[in-house]
Amino acid sequence: MKRSKVWDAIFLAPCIIALIMVVLIPFVQGVSFSLTDWNGVRSEIHYVGFDNYKEMFNSIEFLYSFRITLLYTLINVIMVNIVAFLLALLVTSRVRGKNLYRAAFFVPNLIGGIVLGYTWQFMFNDFFTAIGKSLGIGWMSSSMIANKNLVLLAMSIVNTWQYAGYIMLIFVAGIQSTSQEVMEAATVDGASYIQRVIKILIPMIASSFTISLFLTITNSFKAFDLNVALTNGGPSMRYMGSVVKSSQLLALTIYNKSITSKELAKGQALSVVFFLMLVVFSLLQVYLSKKREVEA
Amino acid sequence: MADALHLDAVGQKQQHSKAKRIVLEIFAIILMLVVLSPFVIVLFNSAKTFDHITRDPVSPPENWENLRINIEAVMHDPTTDFIGAFKDSAIITALSLVVIVIFSSMAAWVLVRNKSKFSNFTFMLFVAAMVIPFQVVMYPLVYFLKSVGDFLGTRMLGTYHGIIFAYLGFGCSLSIFVFHGFIKSIPLALEESAFIDGCSQPGVFFKIILPLLVPTITTVAILNGIWIWNDYLLPLLVLGGNGEVQTIPLAVTAFAGAYVKQWNLIMTAALLAMVPIVVLFIFAQKYIIRGMVEGAVK
Amino acid sequence: MRKFIATLLVLVLALGLVPTLAEDLNITLFHNKVEIAEPLQAFAKLYSDKTEGVTVNIETLGGGADYSGNLTAKLTAESMPDIFVIEGDGDYKLWQEYVTDLSDEKWNEETTLAYKDPEGKVVGFPVSIEGFGLGYNVELLDKAGVDPATLTTFSALKEAFEKIDGMKGELGLDSVVSMGASVAGGTWWVAGHHNFSIYLGGGLDFEDTTIVDMFNKGEVDEERLADYAKYVQLLFQFSNKEVTTNGTYDDQLAAFVNKKAAFIHQGNWVDPSFAKMNIDFEYDYISHPFNDKQEHTGLYLFAPSFYVLNSKNSPEKIQAAKDFLEFLVFSEEGADYMVNGAGMVPAFANVTLQPSGGFSKALVRANAEGGNHGVFFGKLPPGTGQDVLAPIYDLFAQDASDENLDFFIEDIKGAAKTVSEKQ
Repeated sequence: MKRSKVWDAIFLAPCIIALIMVVLIPFVQGVSFSLTDWNGVRSEIHYVGFDNYKEMFNSIEFLYSFRITLLYTLINVIMVNIVAFLLALLVTSRVRGKNLYRAAFFVPNLIGGIVLGYTWQFMFNDFFTAIGKSLGIGWMSSSMIANKNLVLLAMSIVNTWQYAGYIMLIFVAGIQSTSQEVMEAATVDGASYIQRVIKILIPMIASSFTISLFLTITNSFKAFDLNVALTNGGPSMRYMGSVVKSSQLLALTIYNKSITSKELAKGQALSVVFFLMLVVFSLLQVYLSKKREVEA
Repeated sequence: MADALHLDAVGQKQQHSKAKRIVLEIFAIILMLVVLSPFVIVLFNSAKTFDHITRDPVSPPENWENLRINIEAVMHDPTTDFIGAFKDSAIITALSLVVIVIFSSMAAWVLVRNKSKFSNFTFMLFVAAMVIPFQVVMYPLVYFLKSVGDFLGTRMLGTYHGIIFAYLGFGCSLSIFVFHGFIKSIPLALEESAFIDGCSQPGVFFKIILPLLVPTITTVAILNGIWIWNDYLLPLLVLGGNGEVQTIPLAVTAFAGAYVKQWNLIMTAALLAMVPIVVLFIFAQKYIIRGMVEGAVK
Repeated sequence: MRKFIATLLVLVLALGLVPTLAEDLNITLFHNKVEIAEPLQAFAKLYSDKTEGVTVNIETLGGGADYSGNLTAKLTAESMPDIFVIEGDGDYKLWQEYVTDLSDEKWNEETTLAYKDPEGKVVGFPVSIEGFGLGYNVELLDKAGVDPATLTTFSALKEAFEKIDGMKGELGLDSVVSMGASVAGGTWWVAGHHNFSIYLGGGLDFEDTTIVDMFNKGEVDEERLADYAKYVQLLFQFSNKEVTTNGTYDDQLAAFVNKKAAFIHQGNWVDPSFAKMNIDFEYDYISHPFNDKQEHTGLYLFAPSFYVLNSKNSPEKIQAAKDFLEFLVFSEEGADYMVNGAGMVPAFANVTLQPSGGFSKALVRANAEGGNHGVFFGKLPPGTGQDVLAPIYDLFAQDASDENLDFFIEDIKGAAKTVSEKQ
């Protein structure tokens, strides 16, 4: 007996068929819908070329959404990675019960964005404000997610709470794979703990940083569930003379265009741009990891 | 003399570091409590009456009996079939995992062992597909699945097999990628001797390769399991808002919408949604943590 | 290749074996009125028990949740309901391929509010008459020495608001009005649908659609808009900002029921919720006196939603759905459900039961007297209320200053432009 082409094909078929039917064909269709004026329900459909794209780049709603999505991504990349790294240092230090802490910090990651969104909506609107009022703390008496200047930060706090435990695990894996001797040798040399972390540990786990960086970038760039359940885009604000929803990230903007407002083709155009940006991030990641491999 | 001095310094240092360790431990405990506090708040507020939660969302509940009352209210809600959603979520997650694990490992094995341009291209195709965000394909997908269903004479939307098929499509890329990495490290000699002994190709795979893959299978199952269990947008579109088949995230949103923010019941619904996965985590902690790390690092 | 497809098919079919046994003809009604979910459920059960071979299932989506989006999701997921809701021209245009001609139904003789397509065929069953004015607490106004009968102009109302505002401490109020305009809290429709309808139809004849037709063409009546904007400003200035911009529907109702606000901007659909919240005072409507150009006494009435039957169904299912609607209109149980159970004002002349809720009673009275105004937000394209208008109100409510008044006016003009581009 030996390997046969027929069996190879049979083994490959389910995944290939599923990928083609679920991802590739809809993807091609999605790109072509973006060149039409279809609303998703009617049977009428006309080709309009790049009109939807042109309109999008002139749309303040889109520009705003794009801007805050980048801002949200930036805030999260910084917050999640710093918190996760500190947590990782904590749970790899000499404290007792490390596994318990690791598990506890990771638990929020198991819960879905929808459930978390509603839970935290309650926390921000009712729980924190109730504490603020009873203690007479002014800034705490009004809800963070009702304030257009704080709402992105509030979303980032929830995201950090949820995601840092996961990124922590990646740092932990990195730290555990480094040799303890180098760090210990540095102790003898009299380097302070912070010096050792910055000068020795961080360079040694640089590849963990690349991984976490890109995980956090794509995770926050694609945020949707939490956005819907926590703020649904509110509250409104004025941006370049137009009224926009202050916390409506790109994925939610796409959903609202395509499904709520029944402007499927415009939503589809937006999603194609969204896809292209993700491609850029991914290529950057591939480039950076290749570069590191070459250097190493 | 010099030795004695040195020992003394070490002794001091040890004491010093012991104090430091205790400070660190206290800090860790506080941090853990802060991280876990939202769960406690959910639990507390699930055991309050509507009146109590509006009056006072902070303090512990007055009467834990309310928890049972609220759970019953959520379970027997006339507009949202919560029990059904649990069942559907469990069926969809479990069957999707079986399908993803078996088919992805089969595909990955062939792609590793069959070295050709076609294999490379296919593998790259799977990897590249990971970049496509759900938003681009969401509407065309349901539109296309509908016509596929019409063509095959079976409904692809609003059914178990339809959504499981969709999860295979979206889940197989990462899974093949993870399996691919591991299968590369399995020595070819193992299967070659089996082939010589007259074993068929499926036989070699299921009897020799698959058992070796068990650790990777847990990784793949965990990565996909957490995603599928919590997923919202795909079931919303493929199953429909509150159709016959419904998952927990859909039920929770339907509930939050239908009750116009009766927070005690929404908290109870959230609690019910959290419990199964947290319980699972407590029992399979080691595997879950390892699985999540391996999935990310690979 | 055939072999692989066959393998896959076997798999797919095997997974599909989880059966859905249906002995009965199942009719699904998918609606968006949480307030009546329970009585409707009970009525459907009663009908199902009574009618052999037919089971009517009710699916409910909450106020503020995205009904149209959910319906689209259901359509694509092939769980399209047999009876669903359209709210006006925008929805009709969207779903016109899915509506059934109901012109020959007996209930047409009893109502003038059915939804007709452009050719004049009846396609929508009017669920109820709904309406709104500015609700007030009879006792509180009495205590404050304000006679509601005099509140027929903007100036009179403003004076009364100022007076009551000065007596807040004495009356135990947080604010004068309980208002909703929150995107996050889900009360955007109070402003984006109902309040905006004051601009569209306020003070006009019942069927006068001049203003909404203009709006759909991207034009506004400047003078009218200026008056209206001032009225919106007045409501926002005298409401509790936290409730308006971040509160939920419950918060808005609770403020009124708990006597923390003397007025409320809500429709008669709140009657059953008020009863559930144990309201213990009399309440009634005045009009929305948004200018001084006329005496405002009329209320805003409309058939807000229509049941339509999915035309892509089998004839048996369509007939079963038609039978259900007929039973709803012509049976005692149907009348009892509509009036007593759901607290609605039926759109059918043959139903003579009187509603018990304060706002519903006011509507029945106003309907008999005449001189009411139409509600035309349903004539705007889909998503306008939620996606275009709601954020504008949400923003103005955050700070209803004079400076922002001008912005608000400009934003509404901008919205008209956006809407005209969608046509």
